[in-house]
Amino acid sequence: MKSKITITKTLAGLGAAFCLCFFATQVSAASIKHLKAPDDAADCYTCHQKVTPRVAQNWYESKHGVALMKCFVCHGQPDGKGSIPFAVVPDAKSVCRKCHEPAMLRMEKKFGIDPNCYVCHPFHQNSMHHDAYKKSISKKE
Amino acid sequence: MKVTRREVLKTAAAASALAAIGSPLTTVAKAADNEPEQWVKSVCRFCGTGCGVMVGIKGGKVVTVKGDPNNHNSGFLCLKGALMPPIVYSKDRVTKPYIRKNGKLEPASWDEAMSLVASKFKASIRDHGPTSVAYYGSGQALTEESYLANKIWKAGLGSNNVEGNPRLCMASAVGGYVTTFGKDEPCGSYSDIDSATCFFIIGSNMSECHPILFKRVAARKQADPTVKVIVVDPRKTNTARIADEHVSFKPGTDLAILNSMAYVIIQEELDNQRFHNKYVTFMTNDKQKVDFDAYMKFLEDYTPEKAEKISGVPADQIRRIALMFAEASATTSFWCMGLNQRIRGVWANNLVSNLHLLTGHIGKTGASPFSLTGQPNACGGVRDTGSLCHLLPAGRLIKKPEHRAKLEEQWGLKPGTIAPKPGLHTIALWNAFSEAKVKAMFVVCSNPAHSLPNVNIYLEGMKRKDNFMVLSEPFMDAETVKYCDVLLPAAFWCEKRGTYGCSERRYSLLMKSVEPMGECKPDYDILMDFAKRMNVDPKVIPFKNIDDVWNEWREVSSVTPYNFMGITRARMEKESGILWPCPTEDHPGTKIRYVRGKDPNIPKDYKNKYHFYGKKDGRAVIWFRPYKGAAEEPDADYPMVLTTGRVIDHWHTGTMTMKVPELRRSFPKAYVEVNVEDAKAKGIKNGDDVILETRRDTMTFQARVSDVCRPGLVFVPWYDANLLINKLTLNAFDKGSKQPEYKICAIRIKKA
Repeated sequence: MKSKITITKTLAGLGAAFCLCFFATQVSAASIKHLKAPDDAADCYTCHQKVTPRVAQNWYESKHGVALMKCFVCHGQPDGKGSIPFAVVPDAKSVCRKCHEPAMLRMEKKFGIDPNCYVCHPFHQNSMHHDAYKKSISKKE
Repeated sequence: MKVTRREVLKTAAAASALAAIGSPLTTVAKAADNEPEQWVKSVCRFCGTGCGVMVGIKGGKVVTVKGDPNNHNSGFLCLKGALMPPIVYSKDRVTKPYIRKNGKLEPASWDEAMSLVASKFKASIRDHGPTSVAYYGSGQALTEESYLANKIWKAGLGSNNVEGNPRLCMASAVGGYVTTFGKDEPCGSYSDIDSATCFFIIGSNMSECHPILFKRVAARKQADPTVKVIVVDPRKTNTARIADEHVSFKPGTDLAILNSMAYVIIQEELDNQRFHNKYVTFMTNDKQKVDFDAYMKFLEDYTPEKAEKISGVPADQIRRIALMFAEASATTSFWCMGLNQRIRGVWANNLVSNLHLLTGHIGKTGASPFSLTGQPNACGGVRDTGSLCHLLPAGRLIKKPEHRAKLEEQWGLKPGTIAPKPGLHTIALWNAFSEAKVKAMFVVCSNPAHSLPNVNIYLEGMKRKDNFMVLSEPFMDAETVKYCDVLLPAAFWCEKRGTYGCSERRYSLLMKSVEPMGECKPDYDILMDFAKRMNVDPKVIPFKNIDDVWNEWREVSSVTPYNFMGITRARMEKESGILWPCPTEDHPGTKIRYVRGKDPNIPKDYKNKYHFYGKKDGRAVIWFRPYKGAAEEPDADYPMVLTTGRVIDHWHTGTMTMKVPELRRSFPKAYVEVNVEDAKAKGIKNGDDVILETRRDTMTFQARVSDVCRPGLVFVPWYDANLLINKLTLNAFDKGSKQPEYKICAIRIKKA
């Protein structure tokens, strides 16, 4: 039993370390050179299906995708002229909070952690951008 | 948007570089600069879902928003709601009054502008009588503003010409509820979503038009995959993504499908005989009371095979969805403009309620026929306050002498103050204004030059010099600004205090968060100023502030089944929305109407469980509504169907959402959605210019080719002021509800 707990703790530690490394290797918005859409349209999904297909498809199949919470709601606008700052890693305290503050407060109370969603919910991998509706019509097709 | 292979490779290279570069927190620091000093309780400015919003304030400015965890939305917001702040500080805000001189709007003082307005209205009443003046309001105005305007016009000026854009969006729902149940507004609540086991969504793209409710439906489906979702829509929208059955049909034939479902339910003996024997009246289209056998005979014209011929829906699918609807333990239906904006809108509404009354899927948790509303305060502001030409507050009718008399007594006015003849409904009103028969129009919080159907004829009317239009509007780029004679700077959303009432009978308070910009004033102040200048009897406007209006409205409601005496201002400040009826301050609000023990209008010891008290015999009505086609069916000259609607990123005429950079870029201009087969037949490719032609006008849109529309149908969103699709739509309207048929008209298309 004890060894199981140790293994779990070790795995959790490794997971957290991986997440932190992942987080730490993200780029600032300013350093990204993003394409300018030729007709000024910005349907992120159309292009990102081609350039980052896994991320795009994960979003599409996620709760955010089904609910049409589009990329720009959390990430802002690549030209930096949007209503929120452009961020590859959205700021949980200002962005996630808009909808998820009750959950963030619960997590804070339960685990005593700073409400940084990405530590436990790696974006574009699971939880936030996961398969929400395996049995839905969109999956069947 | 076209993307070349080269562009794709370049972006892929940039994306792959992400892992190599450091310093992640610069944007986080920027975001933290906007940490609010204070959060103020409000309601979202967009759709009829009416989500609770907390407005974040810093240095007297709105810096952010978040969902109100205590309102029905449990803290969630949709993409529009989450991006509201830039709208408040748009460079296009109207910040001072203007008067049109020599065709151009010139800045003026408030006194100059309001003096001119009053003199024009006075002259019109003097020369042409009180019916020559009108008010055209909005399902976005505050409840108190609509109540006040209604009272000023009907009791103060003697004109029942009080209308507003809710006529264009939910009049058929009112007609449907009143004819079926005797009272307007849904009998269930949003919380039914959490326990429904079947959702019947018809004529609604909930996913894009009521995203937070759709999210709640989707969450229910995800929590229990055995929950069934039926989506009936000629377009395969995002709503259909979670559907077990997507029913695509020939536009306008849904009445046949609904009757056919009733036929199947009875044939399969899935009707709830105990319920309909006791609580339902069967009534023919010409209002003859008949029995259940007559209903079965009526439905023989709608066997699934016959309905298939009319609608194009396979008979087997009609059987499947009828069984799903009836066999579920609790079915909730949602519908919206797809049923309402039709010349048979009231009938379509009746037919959905028929299914609930036939199966007993009503008055139970999770079972309700629920009409969705398009605007944040169409229900609470216009329907409930009776701010339409035929209504008086709390479901009373102008044509009924006893209703007028009771209201005059409540208002402390002499008998006969309210004119007995209903005013002009929206289309008749704008027809009359275009012919200068109505001389002076006060438009508040609405954009009719964009939103009226077949709008060209009304634009010509607005250009006339022998009529007068004053517009209270927050945004300079609203289409109607081009035509108004006086423009008043309206305070916007969080700059004022008042009430919104959403689709589920929930009243929530919007608290004032910031001071109005420039010289802007709340419409309450503007209307009070107008009434005083018009020498309206002071007894009509005994208000010192907007809370006084709310308190009078509570009193007025208290002798009716709307009764919300218990929704006091103090309670509204503390709580995040309360559902009426709510007769006392300790009443929690009502989630289910017409049921003993749940609806405070029914005595606790009432003999029956259900009581449809809107009807004299306490029975709701199953109506025999036959299938009838659209006003303008496709023909040899115009062989396709045009339908209009929303995209999730934009709301109504785009005057707000176009101010949010992300939303504007997401859909910078309207487009035409064409089915793959039609596009192939006409040689149209994605991005091509396509000419759309109806009997009213011709326009060009860029094509989006997909399988969303069924073959023979094209869709154009209506938000774009530069591409006014309403130049092509039809102004034919439902004879009962007077709501126009935006959803169907005949069209032909070709590649430009």
